Amino acid sequence: MIGIIGLGAIGRIIASDLHKFYNGKVVYIVRDKSSVNNLAKKFNAEVRFGDVNDPDSLVNAFKNLKVVIHAVHHEYNIAVMKACLKADCNYIDLGGLYHFTKKQLKLFNRFKKKNLLAIIGMGASPGITNVMASYGSRFFKEINNIQFLIGSEDFSTYKKESPLTNLYSIQTIIEEFSWKPAVFVDGKTIFVEPISGREEYKFPSPVGSKKPQFTIHSEIATIPYNLKSKNVSFKIAFDDSFVDKILTLKRIGFTVDKDIKIKDNKVNIMDTLVNILKKLPRPIPKKLNQYEIIRVIISGFDYYGYDKQVILDARIESINETVNKDTGVPPSIVSQMIVNNLINKSGVFPPELIINDKLFFDELFKRNIFIFCNDRRIN
Amino acid sequence: MKFDFVVLGATGDQGMIASKDLLESGYKVLLCGRNKYRIKQLLRHKNAKFDYVNVRDINNTAKVIINSGAKIVLNCVELRLNINVMKACLKAGVNYLDLGGLQEMTIQQYKFDNDFKKKKLLVLLGCGSTPGIANVMTRHAVGQLDSVDHIDLGFGWDSNIKEFVIPYSIESIVYELTTAPVALENGKFVNSKVCYYKGVTNLREVGMQNIYCIVHSEVFTFHKYFRNKGLKGVHYTAGFPEHSHKVLKTLIDLGLGSSDFVKIGGNEIKIIDFTREVLKSNKKPKDYKEVENVWVKVIGKRLGNNKTITMECITKTLSGYEFAGSNINTGMSISIMAQLLFNSLINSIGVTAPETCVPCIEFFKELSKRRMFVYENNKKIN
Repeated sequence: MIGIIGLGAIGRIIASDLHKFYNGKVVYIVRDKSSVNNLAKKFNAEVRFGDVNDPDSLVNAFKNLKVVIHAVHHEYNIAVMKACLKADCNYIDLGGLYHFTKKQLKLFNRFKKKNLLAIIGMGASPGITNVMASYGSRFFKEINNIQFLIGSEDFSTYKKESPLTNLYSIQTIIEEFSWKPAVFVDGKTIFVEPISGREEYKFPSPVGSKKPQFTIHSEIATIPYNLKSKNVSFKIAFDDSFVDKILTLKRIGFTVDKDIKIKDNKVNIMDTLVNILKKLPRPIPKKLNQYEIIRVIISGFDYYGYDKQVILDARIESINETVNKDTGVPPSIVSQMIVNNLINKSGVFPPELIINDKLFFDELFKRNIFIFCNDRRIN
Repeated sequence: MKFDFVVLGATGDQGMIASKDLLESGYKVLLCGRNKYRIKQLLRHKNAKFDYVNVRDINNTAKVIINSGAKIVLNCVELRLNINVMKACLKAGVNYLDLGGLQEMTIQQYKFDNDFKKKKLLVLLGCGSTPGIANVMTRHAVGQLDSVDHIDLGFGWDSNIKEFVIPYSIESIVYELTTAPVALENGKFVNSKVCYYKGVTNLREVGMQNIYCIVHSEVFTFHKYFRNKGLKGVHYTAGFPEHSHKVLKTLIDLGLGSSDFVKIGGNEIKIIDFTREVLKSNKKPKDYKEVENVWVKVIGKRLGNNKTITMECITKTLSGYEFAGSNINTGMSISIMAQLLFNSLINSIGVTAPETCVPCIEFFKELSKRRMFVYENNKKIN
């Protein structure tokens, strides 16, 4: 049995993918069971109560599950991993924004001892990015630099647009805009200013020119060590108007992680902002048409000692669905690999160390996610 | 101590400015509010005392006013509570001045006209900069004309450092920028699109400004008092510097101006309260200065000839009032009008507005003492 904890936007994509591609039983674990009753009925899933703030409830909810996909926010990664250890089930999450990833890796021995597996950062990025980097690394004797770049374009038409079009969790975005991004330079991790390095970069058509910026991301916590690259950076591009709005909020003090007194209550400014932004009306699409390119550029020396550069792209065309499918699909694929005993290790692993790239890319192909190596499609 | 004035909302920005001005003018002032800590410096003054007042409790507010011995109340609380304060003043038998109620509240406030007249008390609505200074300037201009056809008015401001500083009450700004403005056209009130862009104008001392049509109470009171002079049109526009307008628009677009509640850790927080407190927690940049131009253009006839009179009042950040920027023109204006009433230079009763009863020359003279200069057709007159 595969469990999904958290049935938000990404959790629902995972649920949908499992419904399409997995014949076994799926369990939805949520705080408010009524919120997923219709979905569970539609996809013939079981619903259990579980609250990430209540570890006992998680252990109960995880009973008899082979694997749990954690799709709640990354601040709960450790709590959910510990509940998996108690409930004897394997674990997958969508990333830990560098700092959480570092902490999660420390649970390696505990998972190993119980012969359980945790795969951390198994969405699009981290996730697809790590597997692509791992694939590309085979062409190198020595890697000098790995650059991760993400750009997207929304060609959708909308009945009603939202005042803030965030492609993924607004909480994560606010954190990404506020926390100093880690960059691995000459064998050392340094932290640069948030939103720095915003320079024009030309992605292949139809995404075109974008301005990706350094962002705190999990890849930097594992890739430099596992693929032995001297330099690793991660950049993602947002629309100018989106960046402008978040920067405005940042400049006037709305994204700081500190408390403020409102009448008789003390609240955290960043948390409150996130909760307010979550209340904004969602866009109502007429026709969804989004395109994302996840690019990994690896440079270094090949086995003959020559300079080499490999460019890997994951190209995600999403017509009548959102590009977020690239985050929801990988944990579904990998959970099925675990259930089908295609992965047999134990411990805590990032994707680059444990996922069979060929099998994984083949599964992505079935979902119209295409992988290119130096412009040649490889799945 | 028997007080000359009670200032309600004395712990807010405008209340602080008004209280400081009254105290510096030698009056005894009871400062009322909810957060004594904010005005501890003002309370060092020998003629100042603090009382905790929540104006939602009308009976207690009236009791505090009666015990103060003052006959004049300056209402500097949020405009949505104006009626509460008026009721407390009526109960206490004292005169009332406020900073304006935009159109909707102003109409409600006029319903108390007979009640105050019966007690021979005055309610002077909109005694800040605009409404306030703008109304007295209009009175001055209209007084020179035989008939009035049209009045355009508004304000524009800018700062030397282009960083965002909340220009005035966020509640008022949100209301103004999200409520469909009412203009007077051909003698009739007409609604137009929310905060619609009216173009660019060049304002003395401020420079080029984008101006937006917003809701304001002057449209209503000018019609009330000047229609017998033939007034057919009134349009109100606000000018914000681009850097400020952009931030305000972002806040509103992203729901941060909402009066809805959001649940945070078991507590219900009103979004606009959160926004206000976060904005208040930002420090002004060092050496930050503002300039504001409150202007009125009155178009009419004198001796059969067309005549246009343009009035402007220029306010700059004042030494000792750096915390307030150009907002001193609001808090100081209500203080001046209260003093004019105290000294019997205003003699009206009932609910009225400054354009009916505030003596222009004396008022402009007091503005000048505070370095707020009034221009009539480009000539400084105070």
